[in-house]
Amino acid sequence: MNPTLDMERMHLSIQCARQAVEELKRLGEDFPAVARNAERILASLQMLEINVSDILDCGLAPTKGR
Amino acid sequence: MNYDQPYWNPVLETLPRKTLRELQLKKFQRIFRWAYIHSKFHRSLYQAAGLSPEDIRTFDDIRRVPTVEKAMMRDIQRKDPFPYGDALCVPLEEVTVFRQTSGTTGQPVYQPDTWQDWEWWAECWSYILWAQGYRPSDRVFIPFGYNVFVAFWAGHYAAEKIGCEVVPGGVLDTKARILKIQELRATAMMGTPTYLLGMAETARLKMDIDPARLTVNKITCAGECGASIPSTKRRLEEVWGARVYDHAGATEIGAWSYECAAQPGGLHVNEAMFLVEIVDPETGRIIEEPGRRGKMVVTAFDRQAQPCVRFDSKDVIEWDAERCPCGRSFRVIRGGVVGRADDITKVKGVLLAPSAIEEVVRGIKGLGDEYEVIVDKTGHSETLRLRVEILPEAQDQCAWIQSELEDQLRLKTNLRYDLEICGCGTLPRYEVKAKRFKDLRGKKTE
Repeated sequence: MNPTLDMERMHLSIQCARQAVEELKRLGEDFPAVARNAERILASLQMLEINVSDILDCGLAPTKGR
Repeated sequence: MNYDQPYWNPVLETLPRKTLRELQLKKFQRIFRWAYIHSKFHRSLYQAAGLSPEDIRTFDDIRRVPTVEKAMMRDIQRKDPFPYGDALCVPLEEVTVFRQTSGTTGQPVYQPDTWQDWEWWAECWSYILWAQGYRPSDRVFIPFGYNVFVAFWAGHYAAEKIGCEVVPGGVLDTKARILKIQELRATAMMGTPTYLLGMAETARLKMDIDPARLTVNKITCAGECGASIPSTKRRLEEVWGARVYDHAGATEIGAWSYECAAQPGGLHVNEAMFLVEIVDPETGRIIEEPGRRGKMVVTAFDRQAQPCVRFDSKDVIEWDAERCPCGRSFRVIRGGVVGRADDITKVKGVLLAPSAIEEVVRGIKGLGDEYEVIVDKTGHSETLRLRVEILPEAQDQCAWIQSELEDQLRLKTNLRYDLEICGCGTLPRYEVKAKRFKDLRGKKTE
């Protein structure tokens, strides 16, 4: 694996983004423009999870510094 | 951003095989559990087989999971939750897009997708397009009638995601599409091999435009296996002056495979997103070794609204023995999808794959791109007729072409044909999936 890729840090950033967007979705319950856009961002975040987080969640990826 | 990076996902596409297999097992367990919990159809299927999510611990356990066939999906659909029925895993209001299969093999199957599923479709296509050299500097022309068939919709969204400029060729007719490619200097294009060959013919014969002199430098084909048939690929590459890449996918499955820029003579399976198993149709055993054909059973790991778990696609494929020089660890299926189990038919007691006829016809200079195969039965004897078109400039070589055609067909298919050599433009032209193989046996009233 490319040693410059910091998978763990990317994974943490994705988790932070998910928390922030889920919070936004909750706050936007009566605000369709916020709730629906948040929903779309969550779908994109899921793609980041498929590309980055899944392999870490499975404990399978060697990460930078290990 | 580094546009020289050859992989869309430099981690997953180069994972060591052992790690990739472990990831596949985990992802299979996850989608199996999802389907078991959320789909009445899947749960009852698995319960009848005595399986619950806890039972899936190894690849051998996966092989015990019952396969799903298209006919089963037809049976459960057109019922509540309407129109998808019991395989729907999300509330109806979460479905954001409807697609359906082409109906080539029977009543169309409906496919619901959530927005996340749709993102996933585009994500799978992004692996394809990036591997084939699509970059933000590309202007991609899509000559496709955007409609209920998924076809190039996801290719469009993926090209946007990559950062390309997309020109939707929608309802334009063929001539208008060619003029638009010329006007905008499009650099890439997507289409079925049949349509792209027909488009080139229109440009040359009706518009006096040489497609090879246009600016298209790469083409992604789908919908038919043509771009993996060497003679068809060669014709496409010559006539368009572009690199031509294949991709195989399906409405109920997703975009599961792609040819990379190294053009290894086959398609990579996107094994981070799909589990592809090759099953021996006679014994039901899984084929792991290269060079033995079987039918594909496929699982999409991340599709949620209507999961695809061990779907019996009936595509005939075989593993390649060689590792691709591109560096991807994803396995390659040699020669792409070589046919469908229900297309490969016995004629005069010999197994015949229509793709073998295409390989011969398109490999002979002087013959046009179109052909038609008609199998019929008179009394107890079967007849096999092949209609081809001769190009105007090859009229004086008709006898040689006929003899070459007979020899090659006998060599590649072990069958004799009644040949009919027609004039150019005689045979039907197709916009999407071509129907060149006509089996009339059993279709006549006795």
